[in-house]
Amino acid sequence: MPAISKSTHREILLAGAGQNHAQAWLKLKFEHDSESGRTVLRENLYEPPLQVVRAFSHDDGTAMVHLHNVSGGLVGGDQLTFHVDVGRFANAQVTTTGATRVYRTRTELPGASQHNKIVVEEGGLLELLPDEIIPFSGAKFLQETFITLADGAGLFWWEILAPGREARDEIFQYDLVQMKTRVMAGLRPIAAENICLSPAKHKVTSLARLGPYRYYASFYICRVGVDLQSWRNLESHLLEVTHSLTRPGEMLWGMSTLVANGLAVRCIGSNGREILPGLQQIWSRAKTFLYGRKAILPRKVN
Amino acid sequence: MRIESAPDSSPNDDLAFLRLVHLADSALPIGALAHSFGLESLVCAEILKPSDLPRFFEEYIQEGGMVDASACRSAFRSLDPLRGHFKISTWLEVNDFLSALKPAREIRGGSAALGRNFLSAVISTGDYPVLVEAREAAQRAGTLVHHAAAFGLVSALLGVGEDRGTLAYLHEVAASFVSACQRLLPLGQTEATQILWNLKPAIIETACKSRNLAMGDASCFMPLLDWGAMEHPFLATRLFIS
Repeated sequence: MPAISKSTHREILLAGAGQNHAQAWLKLKFEHDSESGRTVLRENLYEPPLQVVRAFSHDDGTAMVHLHNVSGGLVGGDQLTFHVDVGRFANAQVTTTGATRVYRTRTELPGASQHNKIVVEEGGLLELLPDEIIPFSGAKFLQETFITLADGAGLFWWEILAPGREARDEIFQYDLVQMKTRVMAGLRPIAAENICLSPAKHKVTSLARLGPYRYYASFYICRVGVDLQSWRNLESHLLEVTHSLTRPGEMLWGMSTLVANGLAVRCIGSNGREILPGLQQIWSRAKTFLYGRKAILPRKVN
Repeated sequence: MRIESAPDSSPNDDLAFLRLVHLADSALPIGALAHSFGLESLVCAEILKPSDLPRFFEEYIQEGGMVDASACRSAFRSLDPLRGHFKISTWLEVNDFLSALKPAREIRGGSAALGRNFLSAVISTGDYPVLVEAREAAQRAGTLVHHAAAFGLVSALLGVGEDRGTLAYLHEVAASFVSACQRLLPLGQTEATQILWNLKPAIIETACKSRNLAMGDASCFMPLLDWGAMEHPFLATRLFIS
């Protein structure tokens, strides 16, 4: 009985089906429809449990999709591949239906992995706004994200990493979280991260890492071709927000221009509740500054 | 007068060793003493205290040090001095990747200022067409030259050995950090010496681990220091440029 009660719904289902992992993929292609002036989801190919049901059209013509993982989360051995292609002058918004839960990885299995390959073509814009990643106790999770932006292409992309299931006092009990990120403007890297957290080996709460904080969020705001002075101006414009959100001991927000074509925002917080609203505030201001348009929240949070 | 070389080395080894000692001295006038790389903000925010320093530096070497060590090695390997072959594309890739890995402008700018000054300082000491080529190629491409990469390339050119060059670079970084903390915190000479002395095993371990690590695989997670560097421009009073 205890063994069953500790298993997740997903683990029980998979064990019953004689499987132990999923190989899923999802390929989305967005295109600008010159007749309607709107963006359409031209390709939606998937192998469950990854799935997009349909695209919704925002008032400004942006196509918005919810990324579902119908299995409810990731388990050891899962290999997910996610390809997004945003065509010339297309505007796409991708969000998730809830947090990405990474369940405990059985010792005999490799970690769950997710490979994201994203291309935004000339003049296109991708808003990639997922919910947080929650690695459970004993979880192993490896994610690689490779984003290429063409001339004039834009990106708003945030990611939030939780320490675990806080309500169960499950803090930094995961085995491994590895996240490798590259954002390229053409052939040149403008942002890169390679995070490898293994709390049992290296204390995540050391002062060189998170210190007294638990949550980590990064937010990349990019548009290829915007000059450095404009990015400095945007940084000044957003300072009011990041400084008003910062409360030492609870939450720190920082921001800086990238080497070119963008801005990086960082947040570390003691709790996750205020991170998403903070990111949304910054997104809203930055979008108006860079595109002269309102940031439209995905429907689930309207 | 001819000076005898040490029993276990050749005159060339001795010269290379002395040059390495010279270049890895934190007092080399390239501006290292003007940068705290985010430490000043952490001290001002009362996050970092003298008692935290030994652990903090050790972990810094494991994270940021690992990335810089792998960059130092990659730049070292861009030059084959025996064949006179210099892979400029690798040199530029290493520097561009380092720029992308440093999200805080002041850390990136500080590293680039030291790299540029370091390269110029070495160029001024002799005839080094490879270094001139490296500097000009970076200028043409709009690529920042980072300290770790410049140190690796110079180490290859001077024949000091990849491991030694990497060790010396990491030691110089640690010494500069400790020096910055002496000006920021109540940290005496003796304590500072002890901290740097005790960091040597961590420096060696990181240098060893970086030996077979591709630069793209070196991990680094220091969000608190990144925040410090991002907020540094807004401190009311600043001792350091970064």
